[in-house]
Amino acid sequence: MARLDLARAADDGGTAWRERARAVAWRVAPFASVGLLIVAWEGFARSGAVTPFMLPAPSTVIDRIWSDAVAGDLWINMYQTLYRAFAGFAIAAVVGIALGFTMARSRIAHWFFDPIISVGFPMPKIAFLPIVGLWLGLFDVSKIFMVTLDAVFPVITATLVGIAAVERELLWSARNMGASEREVLRQVVLPAALPQIMTGLQVALPIALIVAVVTEMVMGGYGLGGAMMTASRFANSPGVFAGIVEIAVVGYAVVKGMAMLRRRLLLWHPEAMEPSTV
Amino acid sequence: MRSALIRYAPLVLLALGWELIARLGLVSSSALPPLSKVVAAWFSLIASGDLVTAGAFSLYRGGVGLLLAIVVGAALGIAMAWWRPVNALMSPLVEMFYPMPKSALIPVTVVWLGFGDGSKILLIFLGCMLPVTLGAFNGARSSDRVLVWSARSMGASRLRMLWDVVVPSAMPELLNGVRTALALAFILLVSSELIVARQGLGYLIGYLGADGAYEPMFAVVLTVAFLGFAADRLYLLLVGRVLAWRD
Amino acid sequence: MAQIVVERVRHMYRPPRGKSVLALEDVSLEVREREFLALLGPSGCGKSTLLYLIGGFLPVEGGRIAIDGATVAGPGPDRGIVFQHFALFPWKTVRGNILYGLERQGMPRAEREKRAQDFIDLVGLTGFEDSFPSHLSGGMKQRTAIARTLAFDPKILLMDEPFGALDAQTRHLMQSELLGIWQRTPKTVIFVTHDVQEAVYLADRVAVMSARPGRIKALVDTRFDKNDKGIFRAKHFVDKVDELWTLVRDEAIKAERKAP
Repeated sequence: MARLDLARAADDGGTAWRERARAVAWRVAPFASVGLLIVAWEGFARSGAVTPFMLPAPSTVIDRIWSDAVAGDLWINMYQTLYRAFAGFAIAAVVGIALGFTMARSRIAHWFFDPIISVGFPMPKIAFLPIVGLWLGLFDVSKIFMVTLDAVFPVITATLVGIAAVERELLWSARNMGASEREVLRQVVLPAALPQIMTGLQVALPIALIVAVVTEMVMGGYGLGGAMMTASRFANSPGVFAGIVEIAVVGYAVVKGMAMLRRRLLLWHPEAMEPSTV
Repeated sequence: MRSALIRYAPLVLLALGWELIARLGLVSSSALPPLSKVVAAWFSLIASGDLVTAGAFSLYRGGVGLLLAIVVGAALGIAMAWWRPVNALMSPLVEMFYPMPKSALIPVTVVWLGFGDGSKILLIFLGCMLPVTLGAFNGARSSDRVLVWSARSMGASRLRMLWDVVVPSAMPELLNGVRTALALAFILLVSSELIVARQGLGYLIGYLGADGAYEPMFAVVLTVAFLGFAADRLYLLLVGRVLAWRD
Repeated sequence: MAQIVVERVRHMYRPPRGKSVLALEDVSLEVREREFLALLGPSGCGKSTLLYLIGGFLPVEGGRIAIDGATVAGPGPDRGIVFQHFALFPWKTVRGNILYGLERQGMPRAEREKRAQDFIDLVGLTGFEDSFPSHLSGGMKQRTAIARTLAFDPKILLMDEPFGALDAQTRHLMQSELLGIWQRTPKTVIFVTHDVQEAVYLADRVAVMSARPGRIKALVDTRFDKNDKGIFRAKHFVDKVDELWTLVRDEAIKAERKAP
């Protein structure tokens, strides 16, 4: 910004044009860099430095995505993966928030679950997948269970932090105005803790997606992950790359959707609590 | 000491509950073998060397991949915070790839590098880089302007400023990003070894499961889970020391 | 009979970590109906704690507090509280905040909407009814907090350094506005502050508290014609401020010496 000011001081007339050009350049940059990436990819793929197997050209990949879309496979797979991810996420959200509230209210509940959460959080719970498969079979139930298992931890933690951070003056004010304990919980604690809880949900959703994709890869069947595994087994590398693009787009849309939802729900909030995840 | 015992007591209760449920035959012994038998299987796996060998493979892959991710990721994040053109170029790409489930990269790393160590290292490198980059970026951006100006007024060159002021200020957020990357590394490692490996802990789990050897399978699963937990705790211990000057 | 009777009250401050500390020791005080009483004292003397005990937010550990003869058992709408940092519900608008107490009382809808609007107008926030607290200045937030508490018509008003978080000009403005409101709709007010001039200006009587553990050190009458424009320069006012300042200064020095 300092450089723009100097430019302004230097001369008049011509600088207005330069400033606008600069502003336009910064706005165009995102599309430019993605565009550059695709062009570079295409160039590199065609150059012959790598085989089409190792790096199919973007044109081939897009072709593949298109034919999948037309055939309907893309939508079936997308639906399967999203269904499992969202089902698991929804259960994790309900269970996580409920458990967080229970732990905040009951000392015994807190004592019992605290080490389980503290120890369980950093564990790669995906290691339990073979056991879950053993118990719950190879279909949707075990996949959704795995998703829930992984997604519930950030929700519980965020709920606990959110509840603990509620200023006592808010609780006292509510009681002062004649609110019962149940009313205080529902009408004050829950909305006050909501920003932090939302942050937890925003962390949990990408996790749900990752786990859904991985369980599909391990257990096979329909879904974006399963389809990618199938493609790789048939040495169909455009299929593999198509899968990456599809999952990337889905992941991006989901995260952006969550961010928009957060802004809507938390209109009143001084936007200081945006999580540092994108 | 005593408070730690009270704190972790529920885990002991769970272990006892497990043993009881299994012994009482409430569930079939293949679904849930008694904890005591699992522990016994664990010891025999150690004795036979299988667990250690598998562990070595896994930790080697994870370690190398993570190290690369940290070095490259941090450098990228700081570069993005320091030079506007780099930021303009890389930021949209980072924003685009960050929400992608990194597990999607498993098949492609196999296509490129096969079933061995290389594909796992590449997977973890690519998958774990972005949390570190984001942490470094946010940390470097937030470095106190006043500190930077003081350094400049004392005649520090741009590069010196970078090294002496920006990097240390970025540490807390960077280290937080590394913590996320650590957890992600474990997830990606186990996932890829479950699906596309011929050695390693994840592979061992799958192999034992397919063989019907549930007691050793449970043993390895618990080992992996515990390693993830221990790595996180160890990391916090080390990092706490490094960040001591902050308080 | 006094409306509020504090009888030999004792309270321990128990932090989650660290040692307990005796906050109040043998505090006795009587407040008459419709009296404006200021609680004055150095930081940490326990004046806010005493307020919270009267409000029923903290439990009394020795002695007794009675309102109109009945022992205080918990918080209630008969003793409205206003906090230093406003304690507004950030997810509710100005109107929503003020309506909350009226909703708890089960007031019918039309009546409470009108009453809320009356109080919004009273504190000068007309036009900001639908704003969220995060978009308001400190002074406006405090007006909202005061309107919220006045709206459910408590017979006693407890104010915990309500103007402490505001800048000096806003503070002076709010002081005269509060005095105006109180003169029009008299209530019993207990007003905690560490600002001597504020206490003398607003209150009928000032209770000076000692350093921790708090005790009532002195009770000073400060009933003047508060509407006199030149009151801050009037001799009797200045003398009173000096008198109280001397009383408080000794305690402030003692409080400074004791490590927190």
